[in-house]
Amino acid sequence: MKFSKLLLIALSISLFASCSSDDDDTPKGAYDNGFFILNEGSKSLGTISFSSNDLTSFTKNVYEKENGTDAVGGYLQNIFFSGDRAYIIAGGSNVINVVNRYTFKLIAKIDSGLVAPRYGVVKDGKAYVINAGEYSYENPATGDTDDYIAVINLSNNTVESKVALNSTANRVIEENGKLYITDAYNDKLLIYNIASKALETPVTIGYDGDSIEEEDGVIFILRKPYGGAGEIVKVKISDKSISRIALPSSIGDAGFMDIEDDKVYYTASNSVYSISTTATTAATAALFASDASYVYGFTVKDNRIYIADAKFGADSKAFIYNLSGVLQKELVTGAGSNGFYFND
Amino acid sequence: MTIKLKVAFCFLLLCQLISAQKDSITSLKEVYVSDKNLKKYSSTQSVLKLTDSIINKNEALLTDLLNFNSTLYFKEYGRGMLSTVSFRGTTSSQTAVIWNGININSQMNGSTDFNTISGSDYNSVSIKAGGGSVIYGSGAIGGTVHLNNDLLFINSFENNLKLDYGSFNTIGINYKTSISNKKWSTQIGFSKNSSTNDYKYLDRYTWRGEQRWNQNGKYDIITLNANVGYKINDNHIVKLYSQTSNTDRNTSLITETDTKSKYINGFNRNLLEYDGNFGKLKTNFKTAYIFENYQYFSNINSKNYTYGKTENLITKLDLDYTLFKSTQINGIVDYSRTNGYGSGFGSHVREISSASLLVKQDLGSNWKNELGIRKEFTDNYKSPLLFNFGSSYKFSDLYNLKLNISRNFRIPTYNDLYWETGGNPDLKPESSYQAEIGNVFTFKNITWTQHFYYIKIKDMLQWVPGPGGLWSPQNQDKVNSYGTETLLNWKKSYGKNNFALTATYAYTISEDDKTKKQIFFVPFHKATGAVSYSRNKINAYYQVLYNGFVYTTADNNADDIVNDYTISNIGIDYDFKFLDSSKLGFQVLNVFNKNYESLENRPMPGRNFNMYITLKF
Repeated sequence: MKFSKLLLIALSISLFASCSSDDDDTPKGAYDNGFFILNEGSKSLGTISFSSNDLTSFTKNVYEKENGTDAVGGYLQNIFFSGDRAYIIAGGSNVINVVNRYTFKLIAKIDSGLVAPRYGVVKDGKAYVINAGEYSYENPATGDTDDYIAVINLSNNTVESKVALNSTANRVIEENGKLYITDAYNDKLLIYNIASKALETPVTIGYDGDSIEEEDGVIFILRKPYGGAGEIVKVKISDKSISRIALPSSIGDAGFMDIEDDKVYYTASNSVYSISTTATTAATAALFASDASYVYGFTVKDNRIYIADAKFGADSKAFIYNLSGVLQKELVTGAGSNGFYFND
Repeated sequence: MTIKLKVAFCFLLLCQLISAQKDSITSLKEVYVSDKNLKKYSSTQSVLKLTDSIINKNEALLTDLLNFNSTLYFKEYGRGMLSTVSFRGTTSSQTAVIWNGININSQMNGSTDFNTISGSDYNSVSIKAGGGSVIYGSGAIGGTVHLNNDLLFINSFENNLKLDYGSFNTIGINYKTSISNKKWSTQIGFSKNSSTNDYKYLDRYTWRGEQRWNQNGKYDIITLNANVGYKINDNHIVKLYSQTSNTDRNTSLITETDTKSKYINGFNRNLLEYDGNFGKLKTNFKTAYIFENYQYFSNINSKNYTYGKTENLITKLDLDYTLFKSTQINGIVDYSRTNGYGSGFGSHVREISSASLLVKQDLGSNWKNELGIRKEFTDNYKSPLLFNFGSSYKFSDLYNLKLNISRNFRIPTYNDLYWETGGNPDLKPESSYQAEIGNVFTFKNITWTQHFYYIKIKDMLQWVPGPGGLWSPQNQDKVNSYGTETLLNWKKSYGKNNFALTATYAYTISEDDKTKKQIFFVPFHKATGAVSYSRNKINAYYQVLYNGFVYTTADNNADDIVNDYTISNIGIDYDFKFLDSSKLGFQVLNVFNKNYESLENRPMPGRNFNMYITLKF
């Protein structure tokens, strides 16, 4: 009798133990092990879609599904993650929605101190979000100089300080405690040192700089002049020296760039190209031509190439290819799909 | 004395009862309409005329009047905000708005915002369904909306004052005075409609749990009218119409954190007209100057704005010759010169001339035929030859059959042609073929009008992203619209009790020729109804509007729709018989407190109230 009781206790302990060890693999919510597709929408209203990594389950409008009539805002530009939270930047509505990244339930909104926020990164419990401020067509006097970094304390979701950039600014990455910032409307790579809270001397790279990535101590920037030949600019972080890879104008306007497994992937027109991160010349032929008519978002991850084919006033599409360009899945997303964000 | 009073009283009641759906009203000989061709060349199409009594029962802005009394569908960016129309499944720039015979759609964007127009500034508002480009030019594809001021040449001095006060500090002031004798006729009017428009959103709360409300939604619309007519003698009349308006509006927010913006727009219109009667030959000469402008402040706290303005000079000569007693011919030539300049499209001049020929034939009193052709000449685009042919045959007092076919168009706007960057100077006009059959049944107190139409539109102008992400307009899709419209009208008196009922219903299929999908923001179904009852000094009415669901994207995805809604208003007024007439009225709008949207995430107000005083003296 006593023995059987002991056995029962032992059994239940082992059962609990096995249960809790199982928990590590159990999804933390409906949106674990998949990726979000950001659909920028209109100035006032965008949407977010979700697909599981195995591409078997798809939700077109996750935010509405989980948060009802609450408006996420418009011109959704970027999602960044910290811990179990996801931060959705709505540039058209001057707000960042803080949601649980696994359940997508709204936790809070960062709704003051932002003016046309664009992209953000997280470092040591703080988010650094680029704000475009007013644009020059809205305010010719200061539109090109009022851009700033909003430093957000993620413990209380408030903007605690602002760093004036005296320039235009858009995309940002963080590397070794420094922020690297590009924008198509100025010719500089801006550098901000988080620890010393100071802007370093910028590096002149040329206008139209957009996609920015870091690999092995080198910053890669894709320049995409409208109607002209594109260029990949490589800036060595250690000495700020520059090397350039010219893209032939025959391939059309450059679009986006991503780096994965020591390869640089970039798009021009609707085709995808790849070169080694150490290459000094452009690809001679495309990997493949995508089915997209208007490439508006692009990511390479885990042997898959993700392309957003944006439409406005109609549903967009997301095409997912393997690295040789074989279509794995086509998804019907919301208006203005512009990016993929992985939740693993 | 008593008989006179009774007659006057009957007339007054009649005025209240003259219902919306009538092909024409009894025309007094002393009334001079500004747009003669509207009456003359509309016997083969349907015209719905809304007069004072209907106009006064609705909220001040034109959207509300037309929404509750016609088949037109409106997309409203919140109460009092930008409001665009779809008529017979067409786009907002395929309905032409005509002011005293002159097309006033914006030269810049091609359409009219129906929340910038106050209905009470006009003697009547008419809605003509179907093509009308031969007479009214660009945009008359789905139909035309006519804003008319009629001048009266009788000895009279009349003042009308209407004061409104309603929920959300909605204030309406409308004053009209007309002074006339047999030689002179003058109308002067002033209207001001404003609201802080800060209504609560039903059942909506922010993430902090606060009640959501319509922020940054205030508006203020002021319009001045002055119309003068002088009869040189019975055969020669000169008229001058003048109107100035300013709309100062903030744009309501979708999310509380949106940047607050505002939009100011205004216009000044002047029209000088001469009518000459030389026996068989009649002439009508019009010259008009129309100025329109807007300023958009993307941030209301900033002094910076973008703007656009156009000045449009129009001259038009219409010669009307009576060939036989039954046949009349109109030859019309016109010339229009537009000077446009704006922060988005630089400075451009556009000149358009046109010539048209209209024939009207009355074979007996029952058979009427209309024929028209028009050709435009301009360097800006290639213009198709437009035509219109219609026939109306009255088989009996009970039944009237109407047939009409036409070719119509919509020209590219300043934004389409010249927008920097992206404007495309090589655009063609949108053009359409239209055919319709109309059936009018009249039985005792009932009039039932049933129209069937088919519109084929090609070269639809659409802004699409090109290589490198630059948006540019292209002549792209083809659209087929077809459907049916029902207008029903009944009135009856039982002793002192007077009843009137009007109803409209539109069934609309408007589909992309290639995808066969319904054009977004075109409802399959729309219906309106109005019942009114009057007895002695009391007048009570009920209005109902059903708007079917609309898709919000071209994909016709079941998830992307604006839900259907049914909303009702009730009103009652009492005439104290002080002065000529002095009514005190009270209205409950959206009486069932329906939570609805005209556009996604643009909630409309719940139940709200309005009271008004109308004085005639």
